[in-house]
Parts: sequence; C-alpha cells; structure tokens
Amino acid sequence: MERENASAVELRGIGFAYEKEQPVLQGIDLRVGRGERVAIVGESGCGKSTLVRLLNALLTPQEGRVFVFGEELTAHNAPLMRSRIGMVFQNPDNQFIGESVEEDIAFGLEGLCLKREEMERRIEAYARLLDIAPLLHKHPGELSGGQKQRCAVAACLAMEPEIVVFDESTSMQDERSRRELLSVMNDMREQGDYTVFSVTHDADEMLAADRIIALRGGGIRGDLPPDEFFADEQLLRDCGIELPFRLKLARELVALGIADQDQGRRTKTAAAKGGSGHERHEPYGQF
Amino acid sequence: MSGMNHTDSSDPNGGIAERERETVVELRDVDYTYQAGGPFAAAALHGVNLEIGRGMLIGIAGGTGSGKSTLLQLLNGLLLPTGGSVRVLDHTLLPGMKKPKLNALRRRIGLSFQFPEQHLFEDTVEKDLMFGPLNFGLPREEARARAAAALRSMGLGEELLSRHPLSLSGGQMRKVAIATVLAAGPEILMLDEPTATLDSAARRELIALLNRLCREEGRTILMVTHRVEELLEVADRWIVMHEGRAVFCGDADELADRADELSAWGLAVPEQLRCWSEWTARLPQLAALPLPRTPEAMARVIAEAVRGSRAKPAASDALDERIDSQERGHDLCATN
Amino acid sequence: MRDKLIIGRMIPTGSRVHGLDPRAKITAMLLFTAALILSNGWPQLAVLAALSLVVLAATKVPFKTYLRTLRPMRWLILFVFLFQLFAGAGAEAAAGSGVVWTWGPISLSGAGLSAALLAVARMVLLIVFTAMLTFTTTPSMLGRGIEGMLKPISRGGTGAERFSLMLRLALRFIPALLEEAQTILKAQAARGADYEEMNVRQKARLLMSLLVPVTVGAFRRAEELTTSLEARGYRIGAPRTSYRQLLWRGADTRFTVLFALLPIGALLIRLIS
Repeated sequence: MERENASAVELRGIGFAYEKEQPVLQGIDLRVGRGERVAIVGESGCGKSTLVRLLNALLTPQEGRVFVFGEELTAHNAPLMRSRIGMVFQNPDNQFIGESVEEDIAFGLEGLCLKREEMERRIEAYARLLDIAPLLHKHPGELSGGQKQRCAVAACLAMEPEIVVFDESTSMQDERSRRELLSVMNDMREQGDYTVFSVTHDADEMLAADRIIALRGGGIRGDLPPDEFFADEQLLRDCGIELPFRLKLARELVALGIADQDQGRRTKTAAAKGGSGHERHEPYGQF
Repeated sequence: MSGMNHTDSSDPNGGIAERERETVVELRDVDYTYQAGGPFAAAALHGVNLEIGRGMLIGIAGGTGSGKSTLLQLLNGLLLPTGGSVRVLDHTLLPGMKKPKLNALRRRIGLSFQFPEQHLFEDTVEKDLMFGPLNFGLPREEARARAAAALRSMGLGEELLSRHPLSLSGGQMRKVAIATVLAAGPEILMLDEPTATLDSAARRELIALLNRLCREEGRTILMVTHRVEELLEVADRWIVMHEGRAVFCGDADELADRADELSAWGLAVPEQLRCWSEWTARLPQLAALPLPRTPEAMARVIAEAVRGSRAKPAASDALDERIDSQERGHDLCATN
Repeated sequence: MRDKLIIGRMIPTGSRVHGLDPRAKITAMLLFTAALILSNGWPQLAVLAALSLVVLAATKVPFKTYLRTLRPMRWLILFVFLFQLFAGAGAEAAAGSGVVWTWGPISLSGAGLSAALLAVARMVLLIVFTAMLTFTTTPSMLGRGIEGMLKPISRGGTGAERFSLMLRLALRFIPALLEEAQTILKAQAARGADYEEMNVRQKARLLMSLLVPVTVGAFRRAEELTTSLEARGYRIGAPRTSYRQLLWRGADTRFTVLFALLPIGALLIRLIS
C-alpha cells in the first residue's frame, strides 16, 4: 500500500509556452502514483507530448514545479532523473543512434558509466526480453519498423528506468508490430515495476491504462478510468477519439433493448480488460 | 420473415454488384525486383494478377514490406515491372521498355505518398496545389480554379490558399497534401497510408472525404492501409498483399470468410469481424447474412435475429431452410 | 525501401581487415593519401595500386562493390580528367614542348594526357581506399578511432567527443536523408514533374525546390534525434564508459608500419630521380 501511495510524478501549477502569448499548457495539476499506468490523450497539438517532456526536463516549464519521486526537478538533478525516466518515441528511425542494435542499446548504458560486463549482461537480458536477440548485430537499415521500435524499447528498458514514457510509440507501426508492442506494454504493466505514461491516439492503449488523462485547450479536460472515459461521448469528441466499434455496437444494442444498461456497462469493462485484442471476447448481451 | 426482408433491403452490397464495370487497372503476372541483376537485388512482387473496375473504392491491406507501396508505384510508371504487364487506363507498361513519357498517364492517376505533408515545398498552399496542374499543361487560370476546387473537395476553406503550408496544423497539412494530387483531376487516386499517425476522429473524417470523392465525383480510389477496420465500412473490394503476392482479392464478405488467415497475413482481425463472429457463434442463423458494415446495421440485424428466435422458438426448420437457400445464393456469387 | 547508398555502411565479412584497430586503419589511410600526393609517376602509383588491391582482396568484400562506389563520382572524375588534360597541356604548349594536336586555343600533348590519367588514377585509388575504410569499420568505431587519436591533442576538452559524435550521426543519417530526397523526387514525378524527362534548366529548378522539404525534414530529424539523445541521458562532456574498447595488437602495428613505408618510399624515389 505504501508503495502505491508514493507519488512518481507530481505537477503543480504548470504553465508552458514555446512562444510567448501562445501557451500550450496552463495551470496543470497532476499527481501520478508509483506503478500507475496512465494514458495521455487529446487532439493533435493539444500539448500531450509537451507534457511528458516536462517530466524529465527535456522542456522546462515557465510556471509551476515538477516533482519526480518527491524531489523537485532542477537543472542540477535533471541528468540523474533522466536515468530514472525512459522514453520511447514515435519514429524509430530517429532514435536509433548506434549502427547496430547492440551498439544502440550500449549507447545509453555507456552514459550510465556501467562496466563492460554489466553492459553485456543487460544487452543480453533485454534483447531476450524483447525477442530481438538474433538482431543484435544488424544494421538499422536491415530492420523493419517494428523491429526497430522493439530495439528502442530494449534500449530504454536496459537503462532500468522506473518511469517509462511511450510517446505515440505505436502510431507509425503496422498492425503486427503494434500488437507486439502492446503486449510488451501489458507485460510491463503486469510486472508492476514501472510507472507507465503513454501518449496515444490508440483505443487499445487507452483501454489498457488505469487512468486516462484527457488534455484540451492547454488544461486537463478529464481524468478518468477507461470505462468512464469511453462512456462520456462529449469528452471523446473533444479529444478526437472515435468510439471503438465494439463499444458502439454495445451501445446500439442497449438502445434496441437487446442488452440492458447494466450489461452495456459490463461489456465496456470487458472490452477494457481484453482491449489489446488477443484473446476471444465473451459475446455480450443476454437474452 | 419480416426480419429477413429488412436485412435484404439493407444489404450493403446491393449498390455495387454491377457486373459491367470498365476495367481501369489490369495486372498480369507482374513481378518486380528492386535493383534487378545487382548484388542487392530484392524481389518485392511475385506474379501479381489484379483487375480494378472504374469508380470503386479499393482497400489494399498488408503489413510492412508486403509490397503494397511498390504496387502503387507500378501503376503510375514510377517503377516499370520486371515481369508481366501492367495496364492502366489506355497505357500498357512492360518490362524493359524504353521509359515512355508518362505525364499523359500520371495526369489521370494520382499518387499520394506516405506522409505527403513532408513533400510540400512552395511558399503558399495555392502554389503547391497548382504545381501539378501546371506541370500537366493546364493554363494558369484553370490551374488556379482546380486548386481551389481540390481544397474544397478535401473539406478545407479557400482562406487557406494564401497560407504557408508549414503554418497549418498537422491534419490540415495532410489534407492539403492530398489535395495537391487531387488538383490535377485524376480519375484514379492512389493513397499510401493516408491515415497514418492521425487520431481516430481525423481518420474517420478523412475516409469519409475519400468515400465522397468516390461516390459523388466518380473517382476510383485505391487506399493502402494496414488497418482493415478503418476502411471496412466503405471499401467495395479488398486486395491483401503478403510477401509480395496478392493473396486475397474480394469484397468484405469474402474477407470475413477468411478472417482466420488475416493474422498470418500480418493484419489484425477488424473489430467488425470479431464482433460478428461472436454473435454468429451465438445465433447461427446470422452466419448466412452478409456482414453488416456499421455498428447500427449490425445491431439491427442482431436485434431482428434475437426477436425472431424469441418469438418462434419452434421455427428452426424454416430458419435452416432459409439459410440453405442463402448459402446456395452465396456460392453462386462466389463462383461467378 | 532499401538503403541504396552503400558508402558509409559497414559490410560484415569478418575479415582480418575488419578486426584491425580503427586507429591503425585511419593512420594507414592518412599515410596512403600522403603517398598518393607524393607519387608523381606511374611506377609509384603501380606500387600503391598493387598494395591497395591486396588490402581490398583481404577485406573479402566483392570487388564489384568497390567499383560501385565510383559511380556517383564519375562526373567529378571526368571533370578532373579534362581539367588536367587541358590545363597541363596548356602549360606545356606555352613551354613549346610535346604538343601533338592543336585546335584553336586548345592543344593536347602526350605528357598532358599522361598527367590527366595520373590524376584520375590517384582519385580512383583515394575513393576506393576510403570505401575500404568505411566498408570494414562501423561509423561508431571510426568515431572512437578518431576520438582516440584526437584525445591527446584536445587535452581534456570536449572537441574530440563532439567531433566523434558528429561523425557517427552524420554517417548514420546521411543515407536516410538521401532516401527522403529520393521519395520527394518521386512525389514530384507523380505530380507531373519527372526529373528524368526534364532539360537541364527544369532539373535545376526542381532540385532547388527540393531544398525546402529536405531542409525541413533534416531539421525535424535533427530535433527528434537530439531529444532522443538527451532522453537517454547523453550530455557532452559527461563521464561515459565505453562498450567497445579499442585494442591495439601486433597486427595493427605491422599494418601501420607497412603503410608508413609508402610515403617514405615515394619521397625517396622523388629525391633520387
């Protein structure tokens, strides 16, 4: 219980603007506990990526304070904090620094000043975890987008961060790679060692979160668990999110009296639980 | 029985089952090898056979490296086949032919690449929109009119014409970039993953615009996607590419019949099919019906079936008979 | 899409040349270049050519691949050839010796032709040898090699580290940028501006118009890349360990000494003749 109550990230009165007079974020207050899994959603340009970049001082807010693990983020401790917060970005090509998968994973580890034996151990362990061991000596040009993205995740996790941020990491992936990444994220969640932020447009990713934070007009428009989030049609519209087919159908069936309201709600939860779309769902509606 | 009548009238295939369509694209045994003969030769397409009728909205699905982007580039002569023949409108492209002047063809078949907004280069939206029409020899005034019309077709206002492309929002840039291809007035419009990285509402909006271009302006649309789900509601036909082969050609119902193979082809089973198969497992009489494309239609069909089975629990014989005749009808269609 | 550009990309064959210390290879490269500059006759060039052939063969990279690296340079090579041909011949014509053919202000001589061919041979050897270096050494090893060689000079500053990172990133991303440019050219062709069907003036205009999207693309990439570097805790000057230790072996010494003989030899031949 104590662990759950400890905060991983706390934002107090955050205001941020790239250009004066055009604030991207305003008056943001947010607390995320350790081990929570948070999806950050909203229309393009609403400041989602900006928000997560404040967490590891890639950007510095003009107003307000950022606390990570209870400690205020300053220019002084930012480098140390960065080693505790890993990030995976959208375009796998632009985060691949090494000329081989092995070198790319090593790049971050060198910055942690690890010994060679420890680097080897971690490279091997995380390559196995993400199923990229056979690719270790390949050049990024020989890899598919999905393989590159899994390497990016391995490179991030090998640094053994406590917070992992996925910044639209699945959006450039094809269906197979998207599902692979989702299952990696789900494994991380089940393992429970990580606090996970995912900035996303993907309904499956949202459904797999504990909490959805919706941004609009520079502020937090909603902060809800997925089933309540997907029940709020106006909120969905405000965030540029289309209701998934399954939920639309459930809603239509309720309207036609095939499933009652209560069952409708239960199906939402069912969809939320199995949202990553691997296992077969129980058909909903009793009659 | 009234339920059956109802579903018959809402059959989504009703409007497009015309037999006599002009074929605008025909591929015969097409092979394509990158850097053929070189040390880095890599085959991208093998023995592809395809026919596409005018005015259809075609979904081309497949994972990364399945050859779907290569396919598009063969259709407007950016690549010449290394085997077989490609016929598009009244042009035929053959292996090893001296590269013909292709603007006459490219005016009629437009191609929008992936992330087309990254290819905008002029300092106003209008100039960028006019680039194509001017290259294809239209007079300036005409090109200007086409530019404005293309912008409207993509659901954007003319006030954007004087803006700098880089000052637009991401979604607007994407639509402007597609409009730059549309401005030349192509009969066939090909788009390579036009919805990539957009949010779901923007994806839906873009697909509705493409559907309108097809239904109202009569353009043939070929849209590459790796998400069958987003296009299932509107696509007339599907082509699935896998490892350089066209492993499937057919409509949504035929695709539904082969849902088991989708994941082997690197595709996700779309939610529509997933939900439908769950319900058909429950209510076997649904299996004979064509796949309802929208959640509303699906809910309606399910509701009819549920009420039918509640009202007449003893009428299963009649039901079976109906299914039999339906199935026969379906077989006839498939073999045709 | 596949990476079409082959220079700047290591081709793993596991040869002994691949295993050499990058510092040895870079030193050899510098010595080889010095020898090329000092060589002024066919006999010296023949020796250099023979030695580079031996090294190329030792890399186990197909000879054809080396030839392909020359293709993008063919116009430059032709330019150097013509320039040497006429400039060299002009000088000799002024001296009034050895002119074999004159047409207006242009004259050719046997010596001029020989000088031009010599210049081309030097250039070809230089390109091929550079290609050998990049085919057998990953950019990161090259970077580390240069860093290792510069460190004694930069004395605790971050110059060597900056330079090494820049080199790594440049070699890593130039192919991607070229590919992007190629896609934009294709998109232009689809909109009726086919580069291959154009005259020189139109081509020049089209290439100018490429500058905008290519630059914007490069900036976008650079920005994402810096973000990703920072997010992975990279800071210039921050302490780092090294995954790949440079290891200088006997073979490296022998390799370097062999190449050190080249410019010395060339210099001696020059002094004697």
